[in-house]
Amino acid sequence: MRSSLATGARPRLATRTRVLMAALLLAAPMLVGAGGARAAGPLILRAGTTQDLDSLNPYATALVVGYEAYELTYDFLVTFGPNLEPAPGFAESWQRAADGHSWSFKIRSGMKWSDGQPATSADACFSFQLAIDAVQAGDVVGLGYIDPAIADAGVTKAECPDATTMILTSDDSSQRILQTYIPILPKHIWVKETYKTLGDAKFDAPLVGTGPYMAVEWKSGQYVHFVRNPNYWGKKGAADEVFIVFFKTADSMVQAFKNGDLDYIRGATADQFNQLKTDPTITTVVGTSNGWTEFGFNAYGTGTGKTIKGGGPSTKALLDPAFRDAIGYAIDKQALLDRILGGYGTLGSTQVPPVLVQWHTDPATPRTFSIDTAKQKLDAAGYVTDATGQRMDKQAKPIKLRLYFPDSDDTYPDVAQFIHDWLAQLGIPVTAKKFGSGDLTSLMLPPEGGKPENKADYDLFIWSWAGNPDPNALLQIFTCDAIGSSSDSEYCNPQYDQLYADQNKATSPEARKAILDQMQTIFYNDAPYHILYYDSELHAYRTNKFGGWQKQPLEAGTPLFSYSTIGYSFLTDASVQPSPTAAASSGPAPSGGGGTATPAPSATPTKPASDSGSTPLIIGAILLIVVIAVGFMLLRRRPANVEDE
Amino acid sequence: MGSGYLLRKVSSAIVTIVFIVLFNFVLFRLMPGSPDRLLRNPHITEQTRAEYRARWGLDKPIPEQLVNYVVATAKGDLGLSVYFRNQPVVDVLANRILPTVVLFGAGEVVAIVLGIALGAYSGWRRGGPVDYVGNGISLILYSMPYFVIGMLLLLLFVTALHWFPPAGLQSLGVRYASIFDELIDYGRHFFLPVTTVAIGLIGQYSILMRSSIIETLGEDYITTARAKGLKSGRILRDHALPNAMLPAVTLVAINLGYVVAGAITVEVVFNWPGLGTLTVDALANRDYPVLQGIFLLLSIAVVVANLIADLVYGALDPRVRT
Amino acid sequence: MTATATTLDPGALRRERWRLRVRGWRESGARFLHRRDGVIGLVIILAFAVLAIAPDLLVGPLQTVTTATGHKFEPPGATHPFGTDNLGRDMLNLTVHGTRISMVIGLLATVITVLVGAVLGIISGYVGGSLDAVIMRVTDFFLVLPTFVLALVLAPIILDIVGLDAAFFGIKATLFVIVIVIGATSWASTARIIRAQTLSVKERAFVDRARAIGAGGGHIMRRHILPNVVNLIVANTVLVFAGSVLTETTLSFVGLGDPFAPSWGQILNAAQTSGAPGLGIWWYYVPPATAIVLVVLAFTLMGSALDDVLNPRLRSRR
Repeated sequence: MRSSLATGARPRLATRTRVLMAALLLAAPMLVGAGGARAAGPLILRAGTTQDLDSLNPYATALVVGYEAYELTYDFLVTFGPNLEPAPGFAESWQRAADGHSWSFKIRSGMKWSDGQPATSADACFSFQLAIDAVQAGDVVGLGYIDPAIADAGVTKAECPDATTMILTSDDSSQRILQTYIPILPKHIWVKETYKTLGDAKFDAPLVGTGPYMAVEWKSGQYVHFVRNPNYWGKKGAADEVFIVFFKTADSMVQAFKNGDLDYIRGATADQFNQLKTDPTITTVVGTSNGWTEFGFNAYGTGTGKTIKGGGPSTKALLDPAFRDAIGYAIDKQALLDRILGGYGTLGSTQVPPVLVQWHTDPATPRTFSIDTAKQKLDAAGYVTDATGQRMDKQAKPIKLRLYFPDSDDTYPDVAQFIHDWLAQLGIPVTAKKFGSGDLTSLMLPPEGGKPENKADYDLFIWSWAGNPDPNALLQIFTCDAIGSSSDSEYCNPQYDQLYADQNKATSPEARKAILDQMQTIFYNDAPYHILYYDSELHAYRTNKFGGWQKQPLEAGTPLFSYSTIGYSFLTDASVQPSPTAAASSGPAPSGGGGTATPAPSATPTKPASDSGSTPLIIGAILLIVVIAVGFMLLRRRPANVEDE
Repeated sequence: MGSGYLLRKVSSAIVTIVFIVLFNFVLFRLMPGSPDRLLRNPHITEQTRAEYRARWGLDKPIPEQLVNYVVATAKGDLGLSVYFRNQPVVDVLANRILPTVVLFGAGEVVAIVLGIALGAYSGWRRGGPVDYVGNGISLILYSMPYFVIGMLLLLLFVTALHWFPPAGLQSLGVRYASIFDELIDYGRHFFLPVTTVAIGLIGQYSILMRSSIIETLGEDYITTARAKGLKSGRILRDHALPNAMLPAVTLVAINLGYVVAGAITVEVVFNWPGLGTLTVDALANRDYPVLQGIFLLLSIAVVVANLIADLVYGALDPRVRT
Repeated sequence: MTATATTLDPGALRRERWRLRVRGWRESGARFLHRRDGVIGLVIILAFAVLAIAPDLLVGPLQTVTTATGHKFEPPGATHPFGTDNLGRDMLNLTVHGTRISMVIGLLATVITVLVGAVLGIISGYVGGSLDAVIMRVTDFFLVLPTFVLALVLAPIILDIVGLDAAFFGIKATLFVIVIVIGATSWASTARIIRAQTLSVKERAFVDRARAIGAGGGHIMRRHILPNVVNLIVANTVLVFAGSVLTETTLSFVGLGDPFAPSWGQILNAAQTSGAPGLGIWWYYVPPATAIVLVVLAFTLMGSALDDVLNPRLRSRR
């Protein structure tokens, strides 16, 4: 899941693409077109998404589609290989210095920007320096999602002694320096920018980069169009051009895909996905996400006893782990997973997603859904009901909770309804409310956020996070330090903080894992969040035009919109190198166009839709009957009308 | 047309536009996500925040902000989009105007022609079968929200019959063999959205035209014309129709403001990259500068359309020229 | 004549006035009942009113995610005559409960619209002068504004002002916002129509007489103008209702509704976001869409019939 690349903060805005953030356009090339063009013309990849690109500026985008766009255009210093291992990017090799205090990166010699200018270490130093400057000034570049990678990796200095060498100073003992998401920008174009101005700089297409493709046109609300970078240093994929197409709704995107107007889609709903599965010309991919959807509590004051005037949690009960634990028994995670995600996901447990196999630990005694158990636990913890069945807190005040969620995902209102109903059975009334993501962020920040309006005035919330290949970003959310920035549970536990610091210094993976185990146990037992599920990424692609689709990471990933743009480089021309599915069909296609070879794109074979074939007729009939009925009625009223005259 | 009439209408339109600009200012200063609160990225320091405030003039007293706002608006500077990361709102709008104008221009034209023809015929052959059925259908269409029409068309012609592409303006990544192919491609994409708009409008134009014709037919000069033995067809064409058209002209202009509501929903249904989808996105993302821009643009468009309608009305109907 | 009038006891005068008014209503009612379109509209409205008043009796309590009785996307059949939605809720149940929400929003919005429009229209028309000029200027302004966009823009502002947890007459703030927004943006045309009628009533002799015997402005507006424009208000109310239901539907459809209170527009919004059109789940939106069309049609039919019956001379050119 792409959003994971950013710091933990980014997914707040970015993650859930199933939402309809996008707007438009798509295409129906099947009938006009692809025909003769196929042989002579460029091979074009069209990928649909439900997000609407916000900016081509890497530091100004908050969306997965924005990351995809800038990663196609720019290289990271070190990128991610097929299984997320460090792979050559702008630098072809790297080495940690013997003293452990610096890394040296060898920049490929003879590399060129897409405009023909030489690409050297000076560009790398320029790009890193912007982020280092910001971190050292306690500031951020643009939206501030990328540059914290510098801080995470402990980079304090970037030097470029010659055109092919960059030295980064860092005392960090981990390998996080190989996971900095800093796009290497051409210095000769952006040299006038500082970290303060870069976020607002206009990145107008066409862009100059060293990545495999370059953005040449961005039509707001419609698509962003890339063509091959002639100077690209790496393996070239079969697509000569790439369109990333934005859709307002998953529905129109899926219809366009079924229609053969798209080669790849990201963000179908479970029902649409199931329908696509039945189409033999379509391959579906369930990617495991490195993130989760949570049901969280406002535990502000835990450990510190602080309160907020005019804000904070509405009852002290939320600060009590026993209370939160009891509530956990009233949440049927399996029902949520099945009924809301159609089963596409994994049951939620700890703050380290199971996709990070190396680090994840399942809780020893997971909670099982039982309203009765929840009631007993609440009673036992001292939260009893009054005569009317209303649950009271220890101050004998009725517990009435406010549940907030952002409008960035269509599933949250449904989740909220479930929670509302379950808590009602415990005698806890819940009022739920949807907010814009930005408004909610502001509303949920405590005074530590630094602004007068920060009052952490909420009780419960539903939201999502996505992480990096390294679990740090997701672990950090629950530290005391995170209160006022990324923490939204306002949870604070010195023991957890100590473990967090320890694991950062752990000298071996085994030692680190042992500490992470403890942190996950504390998290699960204290339950600042109940993680509902780790959602899946639902993608699908066609094989009639392109073959060679490869997931990243290999097992659990997705071909495109993954951690790097390596998936594009594996693509092959299906007509040249027939993939198994397209084999029978990939003839020269002299007349009907690329699509006719495989009957797929014409969408006629989508027979599973046979039920939908007759339904419109029924509707048409109903409509007709209504029309006739009203016509008749009006007919009948005529005499009365005439009388009037 | 008397110059007094012209002057009165034009000056009234200008006053209205001034009102709209002021209203816009007040409205968006009341906004819950007032521009100040756009800066809620927790990573941003107070210093950066202060710089933004200064750049957007939010640190100035309100009257000064108003003056700055009016001056900037007059210069065509509508501020910067939030969602589109500080792209000028004017640019954001400019990208989206054409698809909306095309969609609603075409839809309006089709609806006016068909609606007026249907209404005129129904009124003329009052009590005939066309009148009965046409009036009934008009009433039903009049009662249907645009997006309901759109969703039904989508279900029927896209999901079930696969006759038309589901969304968008044109096919992507296609090299057209000829300009003719390109036009066909556009046509296929335009057909359903334009039809939806047209269907949504036909009802009201037809109902209006029908009653207008009936009213006109009752007037003395028609009776006179009949008495003179003129053929009915000529009476309709030369006498009744031109006069009955007057209210239709006004309705088209007044309608513009309401059509916008339709614009928004039809565009959402058909993934049309116009101002409607932009409005919904701006709303979802709390992109108030863009909303403000859309509101200003549409309001002024409606005022201007009304002005034009008034002038046309004045030109057509001698009684108004005072 | 004047002599007898002054000697009549005021109670008798009032009774006489009532008698005349009731007779007028009865006559209008009789004429209305001769209008088949109006009657059909009335019947449809009454039917929906029943649904709105007692949804629980007819289809049981509103189904929620945890009380849903079906599986997802069950097509219409014996147990679920209208099928089920994406969470297994019975569409008949949702649509019937949606009636109450849609109709109540429509009703409240209409009340606000007509109240504001009528009061401003009467005052403007009766008082005249510069007050009239100002009110009409404002009215023109609101007539010209693209009200729907204004409604979109106003909704979050109002929500911020009234507060999230607020409830009015048992209606949640999120829904109430829609009511206010519709009211605030659609009173202008009502005000115009009422003002025009007020102007003509004002010139009639009985108003002069009332003024001559020293009645105050407020009294005249209440006792003489209002009864004479009330017909117009009634007809206008019915038409405004149709518009309010449409506006509510559209606002909910673009995402301003309350997901916990399924109005028809909200159901259509859910149908759209769950991809029902592409999945061929027609039963997800045909019931609410049909309900909307029927109600709007019914109000339109009844409104125009009432308009003809109550205000024969004013037959509008719309």
